[in-house]
Amino acid sequence: MNAQVKESRPLVEMIDIQKSFGGVHAVENVSVDLFPGEVVGVLGHNGAGKSCLMRILSGAMAPNAGRIRMRGEDVRFVSPQDARRQGVETIYQTLALADHLDAPSNLFLGRELKTRWGNLDDKRMMVEARRVLHRLNPNFKNLSDPVSRLSGGQRQVIAIARAIYFNVKVLIMDEPTAALGPAETAMVADLIRQLRSEGIGIFLISHDIHDVFDLCDRIVVMNRGRNVGGYHIEQVTKDDVLSLIIKGEMPDGWRPRNAASALQPGLNSH
Amino acid sequence: MSVDVDRIVVPLARVKITSDALHKLSALFTLFMLIALFAFGNAAFLSVGNGLTVLLQTSVIGLLGIGMTLVIVTGGIDLSVGSVLALSGTVAGLAVKAGMPVPLGMSMGIVVGALCGAVNGIVVTKMRITPFVATLGMMLIARGTALQITGAAPISQLGEAFGKLGNGSLFRVIGMGSNGLPKVIFPGIPYPAILLVVVAVTVAFMLRRRSIGRHIYATGSNEEAARLSGVAVDRTKLAAYVMSGALAGLAGIVLMSRLVTAQPNEGVMYELDAIAAAVIGGSSLMGGVGTVSGTMIGAFIIGVLRNGLNMAGVSAFIQQIIIGFVVIMAVYVDQLRSRR
Ligand SMILES: Nc1ncnc2c1ncn2[C@@H]1O[C@H](COP(=O)(O)OP(=O)(O)OP(=O)(O)O)[C@@H](O)[C@H]1O
Ligand SMILES: [Mg+2]
Repeated sequence: MNAQVKESRPLVEMIDIQKSFGGVHAVENVSVDLFPGEVVGVLGHNGAGKSCLMRILSGAMAPNAGRIRMRGEDVRFVSPQDARRQGVETIYQTLALADHLDAPSNLFLGRELKTRWGNLDDKRMMVEARRVLHRLNPNFKNLSDPVSRLSGGQRQVIAIARAIYFNVKVLIMDEPTAALGPAETAMVADLIRQLRSEGIGIFLISHDIHDVFDLCDRIVVMNRGRNVGGYHIEQVTKDDVLSLIIKGEMPDGWRPRNAASALQPGLNSH
Repeated sequence: MSVDVDRIVVPLARVKITSDALHKLSALFTLFMLIALFAFGNAAFLSVGNGLTVLLQTSVIGLLGIGMTLVIVTGGIDLSVGSVLALSGTVAGLAVKAGMPVPLGMSMGIVVGALCGAVNGIVVTKMRITPFVATLGMMLIARGTALQITGAAPISQLGEAFGKLGNGSLFRVIGMGSNGLPKVIFPGIPYPAILLVVVAVTVAFMLRRRSIGRHIYATGSNEEAARLSGVAVDRTKLAAYVMSGALAGLAGIVLMSRLVTAQPNEGVMYELDAIAAAVIGGSSLMGGVGTVSGTMIGAFIIGVLRNGLNMAGVSAFIQQIIIGFVVIMAVYVDQLRSRR
């Protein structure tokens, strides 16, 4: 895994990103990167700026300053469509579903399947939606109900399905399992591993430290809008990470756990 | 075991789906009750002549209501349709008076309506003014313009051709009466009714089968979600306001053609009838919900109510009171439905 990571150039580089709302500095000079086939955990307390940073990458929000590069080329995402065109798909924390529409309509919203005449192909969208939703949750029913009638977990499954159905290269998952039961959570973990093996880069925002250690290759910790540390997962313990999240710094006298991986911090140089 | 569950779940799902149609069904039931009531009170209510009158009256409310539905589904409102109707009608009248061919003059009226709608849409999406205020402004602007360009006087003597759209009908059969004078055997289908059906079917198709329709529902359902999903939210709203304006223009030329006079004072408070038609038909002012068929039923309820109360000799003031109650009841029923 690491060998592959080292060889390729970064899929995404976010450089000196800054975003403030009035006096609130939501994101302050944050730089992160992501390699193909890598899962990077974005951690931090509530309000640390994780979602803001990711919304900037998904084109949902414009930064005040900073650059984004994809495969070494500068990109500017003015809208979510721009980002999606580059293969950046997002599972938003708020899920971003239209309550009055059914699951297939939500899954294909903005990218509807059409017939030869340009009419909506609801039949095909239903078939495809059933296929991809059942891959995530074999018991998924009520596909033609408005999604407002579905459970939180079902809604989350739709948001996940929408992000992976299209040709995803960079996947942003903002607390994707917050509303899921254990079985569905395990399914999502499998999905993450599978996508990673396909060379897709994943930013995973999660408050579940166990999931993070289970799934992530690297972590980036945010504290009050700042990036207070990026580490390989083997370098740190859970206590280290909790200290970073809560205090914004490592415990006194901290040393990397695994000296070998400490030799290649940042992963920026090659 | 799982088979049993399926057997229970499937019929339940069917019931749930029909509960959405419940509102429409109860509105339809109300309509038939009204017709039965008025027919019972006055046999002339069911006459062909009166049926045509209701149809003509309803076609104007219906055209406005369909446009209103599009805007309401996006989560907005269009208070300007009554005034835009007047402006479009008077522009068409002036154009024809100035010697322009009737079809061209009328098209100009519709274009003016669409332009008013475009201004509404731009003010709402680009200037970020709430639809209520934006279209309230347009309501005054369009009415003021209509009064200004006509000097507040009706334009009459527009010629027979101008009255064709509003007064003509398809398949009219005229025979020779026994006294040697022409006699109408079959009054035919009035052009405004045909127009209404064509518009209703077209818009309903657009809402159900085209992506713009899906985007209209998504925008009104959750604007932020629609934006994040890649829906061009501003363009979708703009389209809804343009269509509402164009349909108000169409309603304007139908009405003025029927009067064979361009009346700058026509259409006052019609926006309220249009909103009432949409709401009675199940549209939610919160956005995301509404259908053309529901609005048509709503338009007919208002048309029948107005006409029947007129024939029963109920004063215009009492009519307003009754329609006010009907609107409140319709919204109340709608809330009961969504609270479940
Ligand atoms: N649209 C907005 N307008 C104003 N302030 C905002 C907006 N979005 C975020 N913020 C502020 O920016 C800061 C960072 O918010 P963000 O949503 O990125 O936090 P987060 O790390 O995702 O938190 P959580 O774990 O609770 O999801 C917070 O102080 C928040 O109040
Ligand atoms: Mg967040």
